Amino acid sequence: MERRLSIKGRRELTRPAVYAGLAVIVALLPLFFESPYILHILILTFIYIIATVSFRTIVISGQFPLAHAAFMGIGAYLAAMAAKWLGMSPWITIPLSALITAGIGMLIGYPFSRLRSLYYAMGSLFFGMGIIQVIYAGGSWTGGYSGLTGIPALLPGVGSKVPYYYFFLGLALVSIIALYRIEFSRIGTNLKAIAQSHVVASSVGINEGGYRILAVGVGCFFVGLAGASYAHYNMVLSCSSFNFMATLWLVMYVLIGGVSSFAGPIVGTIILIIIPEYFRDLKMYSPFVNAVILGIVVYLMPQGLVGLPRLVKSKFTERRKTKKVNHAS
Amino acid sequence: MELITATITNLLILSSMYILVALGFAFLFSMLGILNLAHGAIYMLGGYIGLSLIMALGLNQWLALLLTTLIVATFGIFLEKYCFRPFVGDFNRIITICVVITVVLQTGVNIIAGTQILSLPPFAEGVLHIGPASVSYERIVTFAIGAVLLLAITWFVNRTKWGQQMQAISQDLEGAYLQGINVHRVSALATFMGCGLAAIAGCLMGAYLCLGPFMGDFMLVKVLMLTIIAGVGSISGIFIAGIILGSLDSILPLLVSGAASDATAVGILIVLLLIRPQGFFGHEVEM
Amino acid sequence: MLLEINGLTKYFGGLAAVRDFNMHIDEGELLGLIGPNGAGKTTIFNLITSMYKPTKGKIIFDGNDITSKKPHEIARLGIGRTFQLNPLFADFTVLQNVSTSFHLHPKSSLPDIYFNTAKYRRNEAYILEQSQEILKMVGLDKVENELAKNLPHGYQKMLGIARALAVKPRLLILDEPIAGMNPSEIDFTLDAIRKMQQQKITIFLVEHNMKILELCERVVVIDFGQKIAEGLPNDVRENKEVIRAYFGGERVT
Repeated sequence: MERRLSIKGRRELTRPAVYAGLAVIVALLPLFFESPYILHILILTFIYIIATVSFRTIVISGQFPLAHAAFMGIGAYLAAMAAKWLGMSPWITIPLSALITAGIGMLIGYPFSRLRSLYYAMGSLFFGMGIIQVIYAGGSWTGGYSGLTGIPALLPGVGSKVPYYYFFLGLALVSIIALYRIEFSRIGTNLKAIAQSHVVASSVGINEGGYRILAVGVGCFFVGLAGASYAHYNMVLSCSSFNFMATLWLVMYVLIGGVSSFAGPIVGTIILIIIPEYFRDLKMYSPFVNAVILGIVVYLMPQGLVGLPRLVKSKFTERRKTKKVNHAS
Repeated sequence: MELITATITNLLILSSMYILVALGFAFLFSMLGILNLAHGAIYMLGGYIGLSLIMALGLNQWLALLLTTLIVATFGIFLEKYCFRPFVGDFNRIITICVVITVVLQTGVNIIAGTQILSLPPFAEGVLHIGPASVSYERIVTFAIGAVLLLAITWFVNRTKWGQQMQAISQDLEGAYLQGINVHRVSALATFMGCGLAAIAGCLMGAYLCLGPFMGDFMLVKVLMLTIIAGVGSISGIFIAGIILGSLDSILPLLVSGAASDATAVGILIVLLLIRPQGFFGHEVEM
Repeated sequence: MLLEINGLTKYFGGLAAVRDFNMHIDEGELLGLIGPNGAGKTTIFNLITSMYKPTKGKIIFDGNDITSKKPHEIARLGIGRTFQLNPLFADFTVLQNVSTSFHLHPKSSLPDIYFNTAKYRRNEAYILEQSQEILKMVGLDKVENELAKNLPHGYQKMLGIARALAVKPRLLILDEPIAGMNPSEIDFTLDAIRKMQQQKITIFLVEHNMKILELCERVVVIDFGQKIAEGLPNDVRENKEVIRAYFGGERVT
């Protein structure tokens, strides 16, 4: 019954087999790619997928927070510091840090949620910058400008990246499923309703303020989770991974994939991380690859990469129609 | 005493530079509704082109300044026509195209000149002594250029026909159309001026401090802060916000060290934003 | 009395949009609030549903003081409303517009929703059924899968009413329900309103089109934010003050 009510419900739910198949392929990748560098890239992809999908969860409620990478940083630094200075186990710091990140997000989200669109975006941008400055100012506690090192590993004593690969694959899958459920339930519908008209939404009893904060809380929880896990994998943290440019790239991943579809962020993240890797040898020139991808999508694919199949199909039917007309005359 | 004169001149210069760049940004924003996130990169481009003209063609700074302004301003017109105008209203695509422009410019400059520490030669030499105080002529000239330009822009927007058309468009786009104002041409003019201002600021700051491929990021953030505090559609607001920001950036580092001063500045601005989200001087924007 | 308004006053800057306004509605009534454009009708609506905060005065619904409650709390207490400019969930279909509006009755808790429990699925099935019934009642069942933004104007207004009904309101506030409609749409809407009245929903509507008088049991007339007449439709029609407000005399707006 719920299928008829959710927006893209039918399309997403009739392809479980395809997704299961993809999951199996991804799970088997380490058998084919043994290079630690490739595994590292894939792990980063999983981490960024969690970040971008959770970003989109906030976006569907009509809020555009320009500080998402900063929250990843909060999650990362909280977990790292708790493990390094308080001796807590990574298996505790990761979920704990995610919860605290969510809490901070909701606390900050509360005053900002009264702002509309542009001002919300700006306010969150400044907040993100403020966080970075706080981290810089943290001296030896946070490692300041030079970064934090010596973070305890998630899997101590494990040299190979393969177990980490499966950990992050699992984390990403769990996150995707959790966020999927939010989007395609009445919760997601309410969030989208608030985005379209908060006035109408509140007139039918939807607590728009509460739902907005819920969206931010959920989004921040998962991005904090991603950040904390990253800290215990990389064992080294540098502030510049979480600055405004980092947030902007998260936004790019989502926009390129297509912001109006759940799979958009996933597709965008994969494309914008994996493809430039092929051009890795270009070193200094490699940002151009990203720019080219962005440019192509902006000019030719307004719906993002997710809209590509539909775009191709419509061009196809267009050509067939004109062929028919030409034959007829 | 040295410290006081240095701080005061620093304040004046930073404020005027921030205002110059912010005005250009505001033109594009209030007229086309476009958040030109690439404006920082344009500012940076101005500085580097200025240096290139000086080094490659042996021009003196003033000629290079003039030429740079023309080049970058013209580049701005092309940007407006091919990169911004097709996407007006589509927030997502505007951000993306701005990132593209920024990445292309920054990467390009980084490849060509990134590893060297460069700066433009000063626009004036020597030191002026007034009683116990001494100020370098360079600082005076830099501020003077900025001030003259700001006065000129203010006069232009308030007193000339073009300027008033720009104001009309920023207040009511459709109304302006209906009144027969050629919105495209005026927008192009505004972009021309805006990018030109950014280019000049880039050269001046390139002489005052130094050049870096990513100096645009720093300036863009300042401009965004300024615009939010000032609000939309008010030039005097930008002036005042610019002075506030310039003051914070000159004075806070004396009181609080390093990163903490940046954090304090941002903190103050967040508080201001929460008090009055639509800025202190502009009109309300329904988004 | 289902709804009671006492001394309602609202200043916008120095301008009084509503001044010392008093009225009441009894359960089951169909009350009309009429007045020329700019008289303050929509302001009063927005004050009742908490879009604005009054400068002074109290609003009491079913014994509860709702003056300072939030809009969604007011919906929860049983007041549904439509809007003059009729915002909708533009990118949702007609059916989704209504089913989303069933947020309150039945209310599934967050855990129920998230974990897709049997209770949630039952509620959703019930909501689907009820949504389709409402759409049938307002005549939109044929277009249930159209995007709301693609509907013609009259249909959109009906959708607004359908959406308000999903709240299972005891009091339904309609803000200019027949504005911008052609005669056949007007007849259809008036008919739908009559049907709602038969279902014992108290209706409070605002209009500046006098045609609405045929429906109302009682009418309150305002001008410049103050009540100038009240009573049966026929009496009001003859009232000198009312005639002056609408047709003659000096108007300084």
